[in-house]
Amino acid sequence: MNKAFEQIALIEGIIAATFVSPEGKLLGWCSNSAISQEALKFVAETCRVILSANRAEQRFAETGVIAFGDRTLVFREGEVGMFMAYLDSPTNDAVLVWLWEQVNPLLDAEGVKLVVTPAESA
Amino acid sequence: MLHQGLILTSHREYAQAMRLGLLSLGVAQARVDVELDALRAMQLVPHQYNLILLDQMLDSMDGLQLLLLLKQQAPATKFIIVSDAQDETSRAHAYQNGADFFLERPHTTEGFRTALEAIKGLLGRHFDTKTMPDTLGAAMLSISDIVQTRCLSGDSVLLLVRSKKQSGDIFIYRGEVYHAQYPGKSGEAAFYDMMHWDGGHLQIRDLKLSHVPPRTIETSYRQLLEAAEKAATLDGGTRPPTGELLVLSGEVPLAASDSSVVLEAPPRGEEVTVSQSGRLLEPSAPTETAIPALNSHWKINLMGELVEGSQMSEPDRCAFISYFIYRKLADVAVTLEVDYFSNFTLFGPHLQQVLVADNMGVRHGVFDTAWTTEDLRNQYIQWCCEQSF
Repeated sequence: MNKAFEQIALIEGIIAATFVSPEGKLLGWCSNSAISQEALKFVAETCRVILSANRAEQRFAETGVIAFGDRTLVFREGEVGMFMAYLDSPTNDAVLVWLWEQVNPLLDAEGVKLVVTPAESA
Repeated sequence: MLHQGLILTSHREYAQAMRLGLLSLGVAQARVDVELDALRAMQLVPHQYNLILLDQMLDSMDGLQLLLLLKQQAPATKFIIVSDAQDETSRAHAYQNGADFFLERPHTTEGFRTALEAIKGLLGRHFDTKTMPDTLGAAMLSISDIVQTRCLSGDSVLLLVRSKKQSGDIFIYRGEVYHAQYPGKSGEAAFYDMMHWDGGHLQIRDLKLSHVPPRTIETSYRQLLEAAEKAATLDGGTRPPTGELLVLSGEVPLAASDSSVVLEAPPRGEEVTVSQSGRLLEPSAPTETAIPALNSHWKINLMGELVEGSQMSEPDRCAFISYFIYRKLADVAVTLEVDYFSNFTLFGPHLQQVLVADNMGVRHGVFDTAWTTEDLRNQYIQWCCEQSF
């Protein structure tokens, strides 16, 4: 997965990104800032917990977008794990579609398939 | 019967053996999770489990202390403390902290068999109580009697009213009826309708109100009850149209009455218009953003208490999940060294959720994915921001 994350690190606006397994194992990561591997793992794990809590409330979700001022945390859970990207910009639906267009082929090449929503496949 | 269980232990082999044993007790789709890390266990949502087996001593934490925390979050979950020691002090401490059973860690096949028999017995009792009707604590009473009693007592309560076909809410604040709502209507019209559901004999539960609800009903409770009684004698005659809501037929899923989509009541005395797309447009002041059509929405304060809301099927759960997410994202903000989140969108196949935070609390809106657009979500965020001011 290192090759994929070498490429993901080059995507415009990416501060950091990671992919964690359902067991919480860090399978790949990259960071263009001082954010540590452990910090990324913790954040991804917290996002996974939020999705899990939502499932317990019968509100299923696979993707989350969190705005922290001008920065954005995006995550998406698939069967084989969760991808998370930390971006140095606000986002909208078009930016998200663009982001997944960049990320999905790279993860695909590593055998990881994330959900593609109808809006993204259009 | 076991549906979802969790084993929290530092002993991997025991966990594997116990997991297989527990699965044999469960229904076909039963799930048993194992967590070896106590810190990770604290991130789990304990109320999703109906059984949690917890070691008395975990690697990085005292299991009895963790039990105390988990039991507070999930009072309905059955907790079993598994111990390597059998001293009475530990046993007493476990029960004191909320354990339902104290088990000596099994090491042999016979030991596991005995332990599983004990767990089966515990779950059997648990199942019996869980299968009791959900009307426990809610009696079949005359709604007008309940409203009158509550108003006479000067109470502040939210009455959750359920008929055979639908459910609604009546907000009583300091002895007066402030607001009533059910999918499709709110205000006095909703109140009058609810008074006649199933002949006025309904399932009613009450929740203490700790905040001032929105006021859509100005009429005194006495006049309301009198009017409702008169209307009943006139065979449910025409109800006052105040505060009537519009339901978007065709676009709105109305399958579950508890969560069906309704639009917020427009301000009293103003006309309601519907756009070409069928959506409600509020003719409010041009500087104010109209609240978009939502399945449900609510607000909590920073202590996690529900402040207000609309169309919540389970207000306590709604408040809990918003507060849970808020706390988790506070941890994320600290880790990333950024300010607290301003908004958070969760995309799912059927629902989209938008949480908007300010320094007073968190608003949580739930949209139907099928007809939600980015514009609608942004409209909700803007509306939330305006409410903050």
